[in-house]
Amino acid sequence: MSSSSLLKIFFSRSAKGTYSHSFPGLWYRAVTISVNSFCTTLSSAVDETTEDTALERSKTMSKAMRAYLERAKAHDKFIAEQAVEYEIGMRHLANIMGEDPETFTTEDRDRSIAYLFPSGLFEPRARPLMKHPMELFPKRKAAEFDESGRPFHTLFYTGRPAYYQVLHDITGVIMELDHFSSRMSRLNVSKDQEKSLNLGGSEWISKSELETKIIEPVKDDDYAFFIKSMNRMVNHPYSYRAEDFIMTYRKEVKTGQATQEIPKLMYTSDGVPYMTAYGGRKTARANVTVYGHGSGKITINGEDILYFSHIQEREQVVFPLHFSGLLGHVDVVAEVEGGGTTGKAGAIRFALSLALRPFLDSEVVEKMRLAGLLTRDPRVRERKKPGQKGARAKFTWKKR
Amino acid sequence: MAMSVIRKFSLLRIGLRSEFLHLRCASGLPDVLTRSYSKYPPSYVEPLYTQKSQEEAVEVGALEELKFKPVKAAYVFQNNSVFHDPLVVKFSQHIMKAGQRSLARELMVQTFEQIKRIQIKKKIEAESPEEGEMIEANPLKIFNQAVENCRPVLHLVPVKRGGITYKVPVPLTEKRSYFVAIRWLKEAGREKFRTVHFPEKMAKELIDAANNEGRVVKKKQDLHRQCEANRAYAHYRWS
Repeated sequence: MSSSSLLKIFFSRSAKGTYSHSFPGLWYRAVTISVNSFCTTLSSAVDETTEDTALERSKTMSKAMRAYLERAKAHDKFIAEQAVEYEIGMRHLANIMGEDPETFTTEDRDRSIAYLFPSGLFEPRARPLMKHPMELFPKRKAAEFDESGRPFHTLFYTGRPAYYQVLHDITGVIMELDHFSSRMSRLNVSKDQEKSLNLGGSEWISKSELETKIIEPVKDDDYAFFIKSMNRMVNHPYSYRAEDFIMTYRKEVKTGQATQEIPKLMYTSDGVPYMTAYGGRKTARANVTVYGHGSGKITINGEDILYFSHIQEREQVVFPLHFSGLLGHVDVVAEVEGGGTTGKAGAIRFALSLALRPFLDSEVVEKMRLAGLLTRDPRVRERKKPGQKGARAKFTWKKR
Repeated sequence: MAMSVIRKFSLLRIGLRSEFLHLRCASGLPDVLTRSYSKYPPSYVEPLYTQKSQEEAVEVGALEELKFKPVKAAYVFQNNSVFHDPLVVKFSQHIMKAGQRSLARELMVQTFEQIKRIQIKKKIEAESPEEGEMIEANPLKIFNQAVENCRPVLHLVPVKRGGITYKVPVPLTEKRSYFVAIRWLKEAGREKFRTVHFPEKMAKELIDAANNEGRVVKKKQDLHRQCEANRAYAHYRWS
């Protein structure tokens, strides 16, 4: 290894997700900055590893085993080299920035890279970065068999031992629950109705999360089967006994009111409480201000509710007021632009619902959430596709 | 065979874009991965957009479950108004052509006005005041009664057995029966002379159907009669 490639900054994360085991300098795009060559001694420390004694022993080893060992060794060596380069690079970076290399942290590193290589790219992952090779290159499984080629795991020959181990665990737990339930019925003990599994506020981990959890690729059908099996366990009457196990495969969902922070009411110089909110639907955008102690006056772009000629739009604007019971008690001033009439009305409805929250009890706000008033309608017009008639519709096709 | 085709197609779609990959279990079929075209992830639930529906949910005890679930935004045709009727909204959406929602709604209003006019006239022209009292003049009630009277219970499904196609009577789901009733009523309302307006014809059809007479109710009865005639084939539904 030459000592010239010392400060290594990756200009994209193209290396991520690659499972290749040959490590020439070609498979990632890197910029090297030669600073000076005082680190020759450091980098040469990894150049020559000691003569391998394992290969001597390996005359009885299978070819596959030997190939694996070589690959693993090459990978470890590559990572070690990269780590040394990274350490040196960090010191150089600290020197370039005129800071103390001993106290140079990862935050300092990221800040320096952003300073030295300013990027206008929108996607953060596409910007220049410098990271420890352990973070940068995908984690690989440790050896799953010993030197004689004998696998550690009983399910090794299924090809996906970790996945099938999960299924095996699930079956084990279900059998345990069945056993417990039959024992209870033998003892004539009915189930304590108060004890039950409450899974509210959590959901199953996604396929990719399962994959990272067990460090193994999972097929779509296999994931579906995993979910089916877990649901079967949850539906067991004594499933609360396996709560710990179930919860390891669930994650928290952040919905409900806990995540929505309601801002405090503001007051005009006359002491009238008011609240402003912004909302949108389709391409329409609305800014709505709600004034307390009002008489129910509605102003939309300087006009009253007759700004909308159709009844449906008027209904939409009044919907949050009517639902929350504040119709006739507050004044509404809305400024709306963009989109069509339906979009405008929807934008006002959403912004108005948001602005009404501080005037209401948390119970009513939760009711409004359930009524679908506090959700931004994400549906927008889908673009037309080339080669077909519309977004989904195809041209009529005749064979001849 | 059908199964493998479905699987193939669904996998093909997954290959195109996997971000909206959801798990769905179609009835009668094993778990199949399909791509949902919805903008909302499958965890989102339909909104309970009226105070009444929320009170019902409280009574059933379904609110605890909904506490942590994200809710879809209420649709444009939904609101908490006292004049809101889901069946009327559904009907006007069936009437709608080329996305002209406001026109469809206007036609519904005119239909109800016609019903009211006809019924009030009947009331006035009734022979005795008692008879006049009996005549229902609420268009909403007449409309709901009409749709209820037109809902079929069974329909005929062609089943091929031994090279011969049999018409097998099969019960309809509730949702499907509403759909069929609305479709029949709508078709009856559109079958008219050019000079007659849709609301006029629709009003007549609805009043007839509410009184358990007229073409649509006859259509339903004919279908039921045919189902009765084909009862011998009913076993082809499962064998």
